[in-house]
Amino acid sequence: MPTIVACFKWVVDEAYIRKGSDGKLDFSAVDYKIGEYDRNAIEEAARLRDAGGGSVIGITVGAPDSAKGVKDGLSRGMDQAFFASDPSFKDLEPSQTAAILAEVIRTRIPQYDLITCGEGSSDLYAQQVGPRLAELLRIPCVCFVQKVSLEGGKLVADRRVEDGIEVVEAPLPALVTVLPDINTPRIPGVKDTLMAGKKPVTTIKKDELAGSFEGTLKTEAMTASSLERTGEKLAADAAGIARFVDSLRKSGVIR
Amino acid sequence: MAGIWIIAETREQALELLGAGRSLAPEMGAALTAIVRKEAGPQEDYIARGADEVFLLPELPLDQPFGAHLQVIEQEAKAVSPDVILFISSARGKEMAARLAARLGAGLCSGCAALAFDKASGSIRMERLAYGGAAIQKLTASAKPVVVTVPFRSFEPAQPLNGRQGKTRELPAPPPSAVRILEKKPKEKVAKDISEARVIVCAGRGFDRKEDLALARELADALGGELGATRPLTEEVHWLPEDLCIGLSGVQVKPELYVGLGVSGQIQHMTGVRGAKVVCAVNRDENAPIFALCDFGIMGSLYEVVPKLIAELKK
Repeated sequence: MPTIVACFKWVVDEAYIRKGSDGKLDFSAVDYKIGEYDRNAIEEAARLRDAGGGSVIGITVGAPDSAKGVKDGLSRGMDQAFFASDPSFKDLEPSQTAAILAEVIRTRIPQYDLITCGEGSSDLYAQQVGPRLAELLRIPCVCFVQKVSLEGGKLVADRRVEDGIEVVEAPLPALVTVLPDINTPRIPGVKDTLMAGKKPVTTIKKDELAGSFEGTLKTEAMTASSLERTGEKLAADAAGIARFVDSLRKSGVIR
Repeated sequence: MAGIWIIAETREQALELLGAGRSLAPEMGAALTAIVRKEAGPQEDYIARGADEVFLLPELPLDQPFGAHLQVIEQEAKAVSPDVILFISSARGKEMAARLAARLGAGLCSGCAALAFDKASGSIRMERLAYGGAAIQKLTASAKPVVVTVPFRSFEPAQPLNGRQGKTRELPAPPPSAVRILEKKPKEKVAKDISEARVIVCAGRGFDRKEDLALARELADALGGELGATRPLTEEVHWLPEDLCIGLSGVQVKPELYVGLGVSGQIQHMTGVRGAKVVCAVNRDENAPIFALCDFGIMGSLYEVVPKLIAELKK
């Protein structure tokens, strides 16, 4: 019966980020979510368990307010969770996140078969934590997987690369990062949410972990990018259509 | 002497990375080392285009992935400690960059859109997008090495120079990788490359059925353009091939004209069209975010508006 570890991150929902008048990012109206890609990682772990038995251990690193994300993850099919929680575990670099995850897995999860990660986080989308984590744990890794199965102590996966698909195998334990089209994440129902509250959560403080988890790069600034345009709204009537086509002709983009 | 490494799977990648490397090398006073697959072309050409040294990655058995070279590259990197290691952010490049960075205890700037050396502080300055494209993250690295992945087509390929000389060395064959390739399935049908298209009509979730995409094609034909898609159409319902997916995790396009049909305007998608000259939209939801991110937007059902648009264009 395989033990599958699903990694996920509780992130700012970028749809609510506004551009402040000073050009800075305005986080005042933001909501939080489990990263879109990480939902596929949780779902794939749950799908493999539902198909072949075993259990799914969720794991996340974050500030204490990420506890909401832990409960959310448990409602999406995880059986139990480990939560590395510290006020300083906010805005971490991918190298730091991977190092903390590796330390938690090494010290708290003695036996596991597979680790699933999303292809990237929804906030930084650096796409590093999965492969870094595999290296820190010294296990094989297969990134950008659109299909995976476990059999006889190994995994077989379809990984998508620029020139097509590579069907690969690797001995377990191993790590995969999954693409969004690998599955359709379940939407938790009321029962799932109620059940989530009863599932075991192990919260681990920073001083319970060995390591300093220093960063390697420095973020000097995080500024709002400008995608805004003039945004002239036109009606769907004859006048609007004529104005639309005329504007395109005048700007020289229609030949 | 400082060192800049470029690591490439293909000749195309190598030339762009040499272009990127050459933009840093003079300021840094660094030597440029190209690490490329032996099959990827003549080493003299890489030297002519700026490499001071070429390390050839030996041909691998068919069942071995590109990542198998990691161990040998790691040993070389530990022996000479380069300052900067550049990859293209392809699937294999991104994976190897992250694994190498972990082994070297190095920082990695993924999807780097701007790269410069700051002589005063002696650090590398980098920029990348974050929060689905809503933000620009500015990073510096003062510890070496720093690993960087750059999107394909973000640097001009390096051109040959006269009278260049350099050394070549073949790296040893790596030990077998734990990950084995069982089968390679090349892409069956390569969709048209839309990254260079002059006009793009992009289909979004506002289409009810796959057959209705004919409307988008018709408008694209009327405008002399190509068809593109948002991620849900290529990844969730699979109505169009993934090569047509525009956005942060798909293709970045820079057409003269982009027309989004039934595209809501999620930031990850709109980031992919930031280079467009004119952005237009047709959407029945007047509160759709795309109306703030376009130049001209028609509020109405694409099913009613598009035939009228085609008729008006034919006038």
